[in-house]
Formats: sequence, structure tokens, C-alpha cells
Amino acid sequence: MKTVLEVQNVHKWFGTRRILNGINLQVREGETLVIMGGSGGGKSTLLRILIGLLRPDQGQVFILGKDIAQARDEEKDEVRKKFGMLFQGSALFNSLSVGENVALPLREHTNLDYEIIRIIVKVKLELVGLTGFENHRPYEISGGMKKRVALARAIALDPTLVFYDEPGAGLDPITASVIDQLILDLTRKLKMTSVVVTHEMTSAFRIADRMIVLHKGEIVASGPPDEIKHSKHPYVQQFIHGEIDDNVLSQESRSKYLQSIFGTEDYD
Amino acid sequence: MILKPQSFEPLGKKVILAFEELGRMSLLAQDFFYWIGIAPLQGKRALRRSSFADQLLFMGNESLTIVFLVTVSVGAVLALQAAYQLNQFGAAMYTGALVSVSMARELGPLVTAIIIAGRVGASITAELGTMKVSEEVDALITMGIPPIPFLVVPRMLAMLVMLPVLTVLSFALGIFGGYLIGVFALGLDGISYLKESFDALVTKDILTGTAKSFIFALLVGLIATYKGLHVKGGAEGVGRSTTESVVYSIIAIIISDAILTAVFFYAFP
Repeated sequence: MKTVLEVQNVHKWFGTRRILNGINLQVREGETLVIMGGSGGGKSTLLRILIGLLRPDQGQVFILGKDIAQARDEEKDEVRKKFGMLFQGSALFNSLSVGENVALPLREHTNLDYEIIRIIVKVKLELVGLTGFENHRPYEISGGMKKRVALARAIALDPTLVFYDEPGAGLDPITASVIDQLILDLTRKLKMTSVVVTHEMTSAFRIADRMIVLHKGEIVASGPPDEIKHSKHPYVQQFIHGEIDDNVLSQESRSKYLQSIFGTEDYD
Repeated sequence: MILKPQSFEPLGKKVILAFEELGRMSLLAQDFFYWIGIAPLQGKRALRRSSFADQLLFMGNESLTIVFLVTVSVGAVLALQAAYQLNQFGAAMYTGALVSVSMARELGPLVTAIIIAGRVGASITAELGTMKVSEEVDALITMGIPPIPFLVVPRMLAMLVMLPVLTVLSFALGIFGGYLIGVFALGLDGISYLKESFDALVTKDILTGTAKSFIFALLVGLIATYKGLHVKGGAEGVGRSTTESVVYSIIAIIISDAILTAVFFYAFP
């Protein structure tokens, strides 16, 4: 099968802090890859690099054969037309109606007739179960509905690849599972490839074909959900079961505490 | 107290930051001019007409009442203060001339620009800042839509049209405010007051006043959009940036006014 997304040896530093340390991964056509990891593990940074919002300090990111990490702005824009992105907070434009939000990529990137765009918008909204909501404003609908509108907008141009940033964040468990189901359905119906960043276990195991677990900027485990579930890696087990790491608090506390009040670690 | 070299560190950092900010702002200006000047020639879509129209309507609508109230009052105050001095020389009849010339050359552009910075500039920064922190700007970029022509160009162009329009209006409103005082409080003859007002005005006064308003529009627009697109730190950051946008705009307006007045004074004596 074709490789849709390929990440080669990506490194990223913020100042002196290393966020990503040699990430390598491949996503094949039609696959759903879930990127898991705790807060500060580097998964948001990785996602921002994948969609070209951040440049890696080292390494390459090929999306549909094009290296987005080194591309010029105009080349990036061309690649971006081929993938969709669902943001954590939906990121709908409040000044536009629901219909106009979904229509925006079509208006900007195609020469389609107004009437045709209207029909496509209707179809996309139907796919996410929001028939007839075109004229509502984003602030008039619930969080779950917003996510669905954002999803409809992400798939407006029929992308081959869709990125999801914490699709269940801020939603109740039932609505979150509705979104998960939608991701599954759309991936199958529209033969899309999906890359989902999440830290929610239930959701991750429900939708993933393959998973990777990020910890301190490195991939510590990768494989199908079953394999991850039975992984021997202590961090993975701890992450899946939500246990507190005894070391986490004691490791950091004394030096951090001293640093915070005296500005130095070796006070005594 | 002994000043150690380190004592100057925070000051130096602030100066460096200020220059960095100026540099980034001029990059935004460069982008804006690229998009209105060069991009259309390369066949890129630089102007979203409906968005431009929305912004024009918004700016005019939001500020017309305030511009009316403030500039009529400024004209009236100017007439009163002028008459107080001119009376000592028995020259109260020249009140109209003084009001119209000062409104056109100085107070009309200045006061209108300050009102727009507070009313429209602040709302541009708040709007773009909110879009920035709620990832809407990121969403635009990932959709392959460049944010400069989509967000900055319509607002800047609307500012460049609307501020001069309101400024020209402010000349008339200031003269009207002066007229009210001249006729109803100072007992001057209405016809000769107006005649005096317009006789004293020359084309140069109107032109330099309007030219100033273009520069002010550019400054306010740039500062407002820059501050909006560079918000950091969530909702709190939006508030901070909005305040900074207004403060910096007003400082920029007054300093550039001083420079422009001097330039016009020596260039077109």
C-alpha cells in the first residue's frame, strides 16, 4: 500500500529544551494511526510539525511525497489543500455561519459555482449528521456539534489524509464516542487516512489500526492496539492504567522548589 | 548605590525587544504591500470584496456618532478659546478662520485618528487576537489560505479609506461646532462667520490634513493587526494586546503628527 505520511528522524528544540528526539514513522493509505502520550510528551509539537505550522530543527516530513518541513509557503499551501485538520477547539470562524465555514475551503480553492458549493456543503453536513444547520452561527450550537461542523469543513475538499487533535477533548463520553464513530465511518466511507492525536484511552483503542506512544520526545512503543495493551514498557502500562509515577514528584520537587524560590538549585 | 553593569540588563532587553517588535511590524507592512501591489499581478486573489465591504461598513458605523460628538465639541471649544484671545484685539470676527484652519490642518486628522484607534483599532486587535488564541488563524493556514490577504488586507484597506473619509467629515463638523458657538454664544453674524471660515481655508490645508490621515490610518491599521496576530497567552493576552494596541497607536499618531507637521511646514511653506 502507498505511504501517505512519512516522518524521518525529526528533532525539535524549544530553546535548550528538547521536545522531539528522532521521530520516525510511516502511515499507509487507509490506515488510522493514533499518536498517544502524556502532557508535555511532544505530541502537539509533532502534530504542528506534521501540518507545517512548525519547522523541525532536523529531519523530514513527507506528505503525499512532498517534504512539508522544507517547502516554501506556496508549496506548503498546495500540500495543505490535500489534507484536512480537525482542531481541538474546532476553530470555526464565528463571523461566518456553519454553512459558510464548510464552504470556505471550496470558495477559496475551487472555481465551483455558488449553487454547486451549496450542494457540497449540504452533503458534507449530512455526512456528519447536521442536515439543515447551514444558517446557524457557531456560537449557537453545542460543542459536539461544533466538532462535527469542523469535521465537515476538514473533509470539504475530499482530502486523502485528515489530522485530528484531541477529537474528544471537552466533550461528554457519549458525544466523544459519537465523534469517534464518525471518524471510523468517514475513514471507511471516504477511504481516508487518519492521524489522531489523543490521550484518551477508550477513544484511542476504539479507532486505532496502529498506535504509537510518545514519551519525552521519543516513540517508546508502536504497533496494533492489542500489542500496545500488552506492552512491557513501564511508561506505556502506567499510561494505559493512569497510575501515578512515584518518581515523577520526588524527582523534580526538591530542585524545582529551590529553583523557584531562590533561583538556584544548590542553595545548601 | 553603585550601578553594576548588570543593572542595565533589563533596560537593554527592553530596547532589543522593542526593536524586534518594530522589525516584525515592518515585515507585516511589507507583506501587506506585497499583497495589494504585487500579488494581484501574479494572479493571486488579494482582496475579498465582501469582507472589505463588511469592514468599511463596520468602521463607518461604529465611529460616526463618536466622531460627530467629539469633533463638534472640539470645534466649539476652539471657537470659545479663540474668541477669548481674539476679543482682546477686537478681532473676534476671525474666530471662524482660526477654527476652520486648525481643524483642517491639525485637530481634525488628529482627533479622528485617536477616536478610530480607540474604537476600531482596539476591536481589530481584540477580534484577530481572539481568532489567534482559538486556533482560527492556524485553521486558516492549514486550509492553505494565507492569513494576510484574508484577515489583514480588508481591514487595512478599509482603514485607509474610512479614516480619511471621517477626517474630511471632521473638518465640516468642527466648523459646524465653531459656527454654533460663534453665532449663538458670541453673537457673530452667521453668513460672515461661514464666509470667514471658508475664505481662510486654502487647498493646501485640506490636502495636508488628509495626507496626515492616510499616514495615521496606515499606522493604526498596522499596529492593530500586528498586535492582534501576535497575541500570546490566551484570553488574558488578548486583553493585554488590545490595551497595547490603543496605547501604541495613540503614541504613533502624535509623534508622526509632529514629524509630518514639521515636514509640511518646511516642504510647503
